[in-house]
Amino acid sequence: MIAALTDARLIAAKDLRIEARSRIGLTHVLPFVGAVLLLFGFALDSDSGALQRATSGLFWVTVLFAAVLLVQRSFALEQADGVFDALRLSGLRPAGIYLGKVVALTLQLLVVDVVLGLGVIVFYGVSPTGIALLSVVCVVATIGIAAAGALYGPLTSGLRARDTALPLLLLPVLAPVLLGATRAFEIALGRAVGGGWAWAAMLGIFAFVELALGSVLWGPLLEES
Amino acid sequence: MIAMVDHWGYILGAWGITAVAIGGYAIAILRRGRRLAREVPPESRRWM
Amino acid sequence: MNQSTGSLGTRILGAVAAVGCVAVVIFAFGVSPADAELGESIRIMYVHVPTVTAAYMLLIANALFSGYYLWKRSDFADVAAHTTAEIGVLMLGLTLVTGSLWGRITWGTFWEWDARLTTTALLFLLYVGYLALRAATDDPRARATRAAVLGIASAFLIPIVHKSVDWWASLHQEKTLFGTADPSIDGSQLFTLMLSMAVFGVLAVWLSMHRFRVGWLSLQVDRMRVEKAIEERRSEGVAA
Repeated sequence: MIAALTDARLIAAKDLRIEARSRIGLTHVLPFVGAVLLLFGFALDSDSGALQRATSGLFWVTVLFAAVLLVQRSFALEQADGVFDALRLSGLRPAGIYLGKVVALTLQLLVVDVVLGLGVIVFYGVSPTGIALLSVVCVVATIGIAAAGALYGPLTSGLRARDTALPLLLLPVLAPVLLGATRAFEIALGRAVGGGWAWAAMLGIFAFVELALGSVLWGPLLEES
Repeated sequence: MIAMVDHWGYILGAWGITAVAIGGYAIAILRRGRRLAREVPPESRRWM
Repeated sequence: MNQSTGSLGTRILGAVAAVGCVAVVIFAFGVSPADAELGESIRIMYVHVPTVTAAYMLLIANALFSGYYLWKRSDFADVAAHTTAEIGVLMLGLTLVTGSLWGRITWGTFWEWDARLTTTALLFLLYVGYLALRAATDDPRARATRAAVLGIASAFLIPIVHKSVDWWASLHQEKTLFGTADPSIDGSQLFTLMLSMAVFGVLAVWLSMHRFRVGWLSLQVDRMRVEKAIEERRSEGVAA
């Protein structure tokens, strides 16, 4: 268990170091997120209030798209230069490698969340209320997205159809996250009533299940890929 | 009266689509099975 | 010899299924009365509910075969997992179509964000993805392993999707397709439903047996081709 966590820290540090040096997240994914924000602004008329009403949904849909890009990138790195083989031979625990990937993805996605949140406040005129619920939901949902992404990424790596296969697999899986996070945001922003914390709990269960699945299933995946 | 006809249209449509889909799939599988069975020598044909 | 995927087992099952189908049609249209609340549209229920129960049976089977594959790496489990997923997707698709037509009668629209239909749509997408992954992976070992992992992961998602969609739909207070049907189901209606579920179950098993055998034969053909190609390479080397 401790060994797996040590391995996780190693892998997370490697991925984050690569990101820090290449800055793909900064130069590709964040501008992509900004572009999507603007495009939604064009598509939905801001005068009629459609944009404001749809904000929570648009926020999380954009996060999902960014997540697909980040997961693709995360595993394209491993596919190149036979890194997967090196990982297999390295003696690192598969669960540790998986958790390390999850940590790195989570941190990168959290940056996206914050930037997107600021963008939504500025461009869509949203005034954030219920900050506690917003923050907790954001973190838990992001962990769930990263946990699912780190499991589904290797499933499609190395395929000729990798670029289309990953979104096809990942987006339906993340539907419960989209559901729950959007609802919770609506409640936090005061636009809906209900148990926001109950939705946060559901998101927590999703994250837990994905983390458990990933930790167990990465073993056979790593051997085979 | 027209509403009744509509209803029966959807009801028969549902049954019809189900029958065609399952029947068509079954036929396709059976034909593929025959084609493959011809290619494989008898000793390898045992299912398990 | 036997030039098809048939056997004594499938012939018996096939005969039972055929007779069963006739019986179901007779009961669904002849014996069962129209429902007090749903009217004639209850006759769609006799085909809609069995497709969804058959689908769930098959998806659970897929999960079990996927787990067994990861444990024992058996070809049987891999082919069986593929079989159950494929027929499961067929059943889920039919659930969506029949549900949509039923909704057209009951609600006046082809789609409402009803909990059951939305869940079915998501599961349909999940397992279409499973089939797509299998189709896209060339290496047999990688294909079997990845599919097995995906099968297990998808199975664990089913209850989560159910609960979250149920909860979400209840906020919209949509009528479910079953909200009106379940409470007042008449004796002969219940019997017809049970009969139809049983017949669909037998049909699903019959289809699965044939589809499994097709998958198995396909595996043998692929291996024969690989061996033949290796032999050709070898003889090239000897000749040179």
